[in-house]
Amino acid sequence: MHELSIASALVDNVVKFANSPPSKKVLKVLLQIGEFTCVEPEQLLFCYSVATRETSIEDSVLEIEQVAAEVRCLHCGYAGPPKYWDDALAAKPVATLECPTCGNATEVTHGHDCTIRTIRYIEQ
Amino acid sequence: MIKIEASPEEIYDIELEHSLLEANAKLAEKNRAVLDRNGITAIDFMGAIGSGKTTLITRLVEKLKDRVGVAVFNGDATTSSDADPIAAYGVPVVQIATINGCHLDANVVAKACARIDLGKLRLIFIENIGNLICPAEFPLGSKARVVVVSVTEGPYMVRKHPHMFLGAQLVVINKIELAETMDVSVEALTGDVHKLKPDLRVIPTSCKTGAGIDDVARAILAV
Repeated sequence: MHELSIASALVDNVVKFANSPPSKKVLKVLLQIGEFTCVEPEQLLFCYSVATRETSIEDSVLEIEQVAAEVRCLHCGYAGPPKYWDDALAAKPVATLECPTCGNATEVTHGHDCTIRTIRYIEQ
Repeated sequence: MIKIEASPEEIYDIELEHSLLEANAKLAEKNRAVLDRNGITAIDFMGAIGSGKTTLITRLVEKLKDRVGVAVFNGDATTSSDADPIAAYGVPVVQIATINGCHLDANVVAKACARIDLGKLRLIFIENIGNLICPAEFPLGSKARVVVVSVTEGPYMVRKHPHMFLGAQLVVINKIELAETMDVSVEALTGDVHKLKPDLRVIPTSCKTGAGIDDVARAILAV
């Protein structure tokens, strides 16, 4: 349940923003989660509702947006979506680090972070 | 519940690019700098409960302790049952009790570093909490992350936990002496690892017979 650690970091940041003058009422937080992270949106939403309880952002809504994975191959120069492992028996295809064109190992350029994108608020 | 209604012109959107994983990542970089300055390589061992992380670390300590200075940080949710037998070898051991936390983070590793004399060390083995999901998101400052899987966990261990392998520098497939009994193919597990990350080195081991332990020790000394 690392989602709770992430939700706590998120709430700390947003509360700090809300409490810095002028005082603000936070309505919505837009969070982007990369495809290469293992942060589960459903669990994070639940943890957010728990972690915001009795804080100044208790009534705010968390919205989560997925960021698609992208990789770069240093062997053949490929840059773009990763190769997916379709028959891994997983619920959805698994993004891999195998280069879609030459088969060598690629490195991740997009989709490995978990970022607060925007905070929607009104000034009080 | 209080509902706030505002006309659109009073609503503001602030654009941020604030990473939630960054705070830990920055602390991990700081750990790494401290270790580098002291000429120490830290190796982070991740794997499921019962995959053999502690036993593998114990074998490596046996092999290496007379050649180089070794210390062990032992992450465990509650007990010191893993730390005690390693301490019997006379190497510095720090027990990191996460009190039911599901992963180590860079902060607790920094605290553990402060508890030992870094001067005489060349290697620190960090045993993460038995968990194949959460630790992936939290770098600690180690130079290499090792994933330990064992054949007793079944044939689909790798594909069930892809994230763990994508961030690893070495994979150990442990308990190979039981592969036939378990009807699990070491080659198939290795194939799964390479589907995820083609250049990831895989070393099959048996902590029982000693097979592969020298290879792991050599790989670690070469990091």
